[in-house]
Amino acid sequence: MSNIKYCSFPVTPKAALAELLSRKNEALAVAGGTLAAKTLPETTVNFVELKNLPLNYIKMRGPDLVIGAMATFDDIDNSKLVGSWAGGVISTAAARCSSQLIRNMATIGGNIARPHSFNIFPAVLLGLDAKVKILCKTGVKTCAFSDIYLADFKFRPGRDCLILEVVIPGKTRNWTCRFEKFAKTEASWEAYLTLFMAAEINSGSMNEIRVAVGALSPKPFRARGAEKVLAGAELSAGVIDAAVVELERDMDVVRASEFKKEVSASLFRRFLEVL
Amino acid sequence: MGGGPPPSVSLSLFVKEIVVEKNDFKVVNKRVLKMDSLGLACGEPVFTDDVDINGMLYGRILWSPYAHARITKIDTKEAEKVPGVKAVLTYKNVPRVPHTTAGQGYPEPSPYDTYILDNKVRFVGDRVAAVAAETPEAAEAALKLIKTEYEILPAVFDTFEAMKDGAPVIHDEKDAKNIPDARHNIAAKFEFEVKNGEWFKDADFVIEHSYKMPYLQHCAIEPHIVITCFDPFGRLVIRTSTQVPFHVRRIVAQALKLPVKKIRVIKPRIGGGFGSKQEVLLEDIAAALSLKTGKPVKIEYTRKETFISSRTRHPSTVRLKTGFKKDGTITDAEMDIVLNTGAYGSHALTVMMCSGSHTIPFYKVKNNIKFLGRSVYTNLPVAGAYRGYGATQGFFAWESQMDIMAAKIGMDPVEFRKMNYIRLGEGSPVFKAMGEGREGVEQVITSIGLYEGIEKGLKAINWRAKKEKNKGGKGVLRRGLGMACMMQGSGIPEVDMASATIKMNEDGSFNLMVGATDLGTGSDTILAQIAAEVLGVKAEDFIVYSSDTDLTPFDVGAYASSTTFISGNAVKKTAEKVREMIIAVAAKILDRKKEDLRLEGGKVVANDGAACGLSEVANTSLYYYDQHQIIASASHYAHTSPPPFAANFAEVEVDTGTGKIKILDYVSCVDCGTAINPELAEGQNDGAVLNGIGHTLSEELEFSSNGTPLNASFRRYKIFNTLDMPPIKTFLIPTFEPNGPFGAKSVSEIGINGPLPAVANALYDAVGVRLFDSPFTPEKVLAAIKKAGKK
Amino acid sequence: MKKESIRLEAVNGVFRISLTVNGVKKNFAVKNNEFLLNALRRYGYKGAKKGCDTGDCGSCTVIFNGKPALACLIPAFTAHGAEITTIEGVGTVRNPHPLQEAFVEAGAVQCGFCIPGMILSSKHLLDVNPSPSEDDIKKYLDGNLCRCTGYVKQIQAVKMAAKKIKKA
Repeated sequence: MSNIKYCSFPVTPKAALAELLSRKNEALAVAGGTLAAKTLPETTVNFVELKNLPLNYIKMRGPDLVIGAMATFDDIDNSKLVGSWAGGVISTAAARCSSQLIRNMATIGGNIARPHSFNIFPAVLLGLDAKVKILCKTGVKTCAFSDIYLADFKFRPGRDCLILEVVIPGKTRNWTCRFEKFAKTEASWEAYLTLFMAAEINSGSMNEIRVAVGALSPKPFRARGAEKVLAGAELSAGVIDAAVVELERDMDVVRASEFKKEVSASLFRRFLEVL
Repeated sequence: MGGGPPPSVSLSLFVKEIVVEKNDFKVVNKRVLKMDSLGLACGEPVFTDDVDINGMLYGRILWSPYAHARITKIDTKEAEKVPGVKAVLTYKNVPRVPHTTAGQGYPEPSPYDTYILDNKVRFVGDRVAAVAAETPEAAEAALKLIKTEYEILPAVFDTFEAMKDGAPVIHDEKDAKNIPDARHNIAAKFEFEVKNGEWFKDADFVIEHSYKMPYLQHCAIEPHIVITCFDPFGRLVIRTSTQVPFHVRRIVAQALKLPVKKIRVIKPRIGGGFGSKQEVLLEDIAAALSLKTGKPVKIEYTRKETFISSRTRHPSTVRLKTGFKKDGTITDAEMDIVLNTGAYGSHALTVMMCSGSHTIPFYKVKNNIKFLGRSVYTNLPVAGAYRGYGATQGFFAWESQMDIMAAKIGMDPVEFRKMNYIRLGEGSPVFKAMGEGREGVEQVITSIGLYEGIEKGLKAINWRAKKEKNKGGKGVLRRGLGMACMMQGSGIPEVDMASATIKMNEDGSFNLMVGATDLGTGSDTILAQIAAEVLGVKAEDFIVYSSDTDLTPFDVGAYASSTTFISGNAVKKTAEKVREMIIAVAAKILDRKKEDLRLEGGKVVANDGAACGLSEVANTSLYYYDQHQIIASASHYAHTSPPPFAANFAEVEVDTGTGKIKILDYVSCVDCGTAINPELAEGQNDGAVLNGIGHTLSEELEFSSNGTPLNASFRRYKIFNTLDMPPIKTFLIPTFEPNGPFGAKSVSEIGINGPLPAVANALYDAVGVRLFDSPFTPEKVLAAIKKAGKK
Repeated sequence: MKKESIRLEAVNGVFRISLTVNGVKKNFAVKNNEFLLNALRRYGYKGAKKGCDTGDCGSCTVIFNGKPALACLIPAFTAHGAEITTIEGVGTVRNPHPLQEAFVEAGAVQCGFCIPGMILSSKHLLDVNPSPSEDDIKKYLDGNLCRCTGYVKQIQAVKMAAKKIKKA
């Protein structure tokens, strides 16, 4: 941090972006900063502090749930609106993030801006088909959350674009979801694994199924094999067994350890058995 | 008491232990608020770092990146040129005096194998050089510019490998002292045998198991820190977060070749120690930097440095072989412990001996006893004193094995223990043969409340009903119960000494000066309570000042659970002397015989009711006639070390799908004699228990294959928080220890020894799987369940 | 809500910021690589402690713009315009807050190093939830580590304080 010469406190996203894009100084936008603060690149000259941006709202927009990028984990944990969505899984996930002090400071925007295995929300957003609204030099763009971690995504949040909000599609409102964080202790930043599971059952068969795995790597992934077995299927003991076997195969693909494979299988099975 | 003894055991084995129903103490064993609590709760600046000293320099240490290497070249010229840098020290410009960093009585029972700075490094995190500069940034910059070249040597990280012929010799220097076998990296060894006939001849069964514990760190929330400076007389003043101010003074004097009279050590409030601060870790190098620069120097460890370069628990392997009979008699016991003492041997002998001296006497062994202990050097962080001090490692083995033995003969594990533990009035050959660092003392048990502790714990955790309910447990979540019993010591007999001074003020208040070290334990308060009980006043009538080598009399410091028992007795004796002086003055004031006077309620009272206030006594002695200061000092050392006893009970729920152990309930019943301050004693035990639970379920320092620590941070080495903590209940069992001040023994260490064996036993009860090495991570549990086919 | 965008410029690596500490307006000169914990301690607020400097132990807790936060993770210059409460602003030995009294009476203070952080976290909890359950208390204090007490008496202290505050 010894090269920091400026600290900006913009009050509009446009002003924040202008700071980032001004080619005069190497700038970095920080939202919360609980992980970023001690790992700032030494080349940073302009520290763009985002806490004065009016982006900490949590509201409905039409059928969708919208969470501003500057909403903290504590805001999300305590929001009645978020608590009423998909069985409150987003609040539950927020509550599982390290400690209350971190939850008071860390933001959802900061939690998804850079891939990191500590991050809680990416697996959840991946599983909920979330969209992300960003502000870049050509204006406001909405893209699927899964897109922003793709290698060919054109922008780098915090560097040349700003995450404005996260949009949870209305279709997920009544999904049955569960978020599991399996870690050494309750306040661990890192976890053995995180698992986001969601299902919508219509007339006895699986209309929607999502299984997203986090903490194994900086970016979460969907267990497509397990999802495929369950899509449209009627839940029976045989189907559950098959789905669990597929999840284990999905875990093999990423070379998860025997232990993590077994734990994910146990947790997944438990989720399916109570559906 | 539920159940009654099994018919095959005679009732005479259940000797009635003496549990105190009531007492008529006025201050001792009563609720007294800890004196410094309010200031601490208000953020008063009382810790080492909470002062601003003019002209203070920042000291930083250059650490070794290699596990084992010789420094072939070290060039500090560029480092010295950094603006703001005032001194750079290497082995070339500090005295080379072999010493130990262990804060123990002189002559210390630890090898003299440490140097302020050396031309050899022996673990990743060993000292290479030190810098003092006007800003931390300048110091950091200077560290980076110190040019070093190393000859990398083969390193050894496993104790058994280290003992083999041809292993790298970690201490090959000629001037180290007291290393029993440097060629085989043996820093300490001890052997003891009691033989009464052929080994295992009488045993119906013989079992043998090995139990392992890893590197563990104390994690006191305040990292190590010291500020050294000079007083107006050019004396070195060391302001340090230490448990052992007097040992610090002596060892710094030794290492820097200074006379003791040139050094003053002051201990402010400390943010926890648990043994990690029973060590001279920073004071010598900070003092060396102050001597070089003539300026105050502060060195504070980062959390990472505290993990790596302070002290840890001794990792251990205990091989326990026991012979026993169908009727529950333990006939033979062979205990073989190998401790990893890391790169230097501080506490190597004493921790090793305590692993046997605090455990083997606990149960009666009919025929043969053998203890073989070795502490072995490896190129890993240095182990030292840590709450429990060998007994933790020892009881993991013993208390697990007790359950295994009971199961083998089909005996209830509670009854098996009740039948065999040491009784009031009984002794053990181990007490005399094994002390802490040298021969111990003959002693018998003079107070014990273990039966009551066991019964109380069984009831509190609802042992029998739950055991019934858990029978034939099926399903993914399985519950189980386990117990462990243990003892510790109360100070080191005939070694530890404490002293106190009390002087009286006009208003009947007193100054109490003690060397005893309060590390948050509340010793200042309980010592005041003891003095107050003698003098018939309130604890609040004492102004306590402690741990300043200029102003307080000698005390070995806070370790070996010695403060209440030894410093407490010193305070009691001192107060008794002061009482005599008060009575002598009051006798003149009241014109009564001394024998007819007593101290009560802040007054001196005669048998016939005549009385005078203490303030009148004080003013008379200070001002009116026969003027003198009412003041006295006394010292105390003990001839015995009466053990506290404890029974711990754990209820666990094991998730057989993930391997996670959840502790549903934990009960710890402690006999500490008279609890001078019951709330403080409970608090001590609560903390010790949770620390032990952390050891059991989470804590472990991990290393790479070249000896680099991998998780040296609170981020990755997880101690428990409020959500991790299970329900913990501490019960104090009041007995009366005749050798202790008002019947007190110790309480500070024993609690940490229970969780590991109690949970190991509960795990077995729940899923039929036993783990022999801690921590019991979900990964280990799951693998063990799978292996045993118990899913 | 702030009305205008602000931009601070450091001179020779030093930012001049103004902030409110315990209700008093203060001007701090802070280095660009300094965190709020260090700055507060330099300016005499010694109650906030450096236990780990990585945001894992909570001994540096301060109330920052209304919520307990980790001062060791907040770059000092970002505290410009902030409102901060430290333990010194909660109560003093002569005039303690009920929480401080409760911690003393419950025997919840051993070495005391974690206590300022515990009390600030607890204070905020009781401010927003005057009747917290035991689970609420445990969750709210989960960022404040203690190695001395096992948390048993600290949780009792918060419950005791809740009762005291309600009575008053």
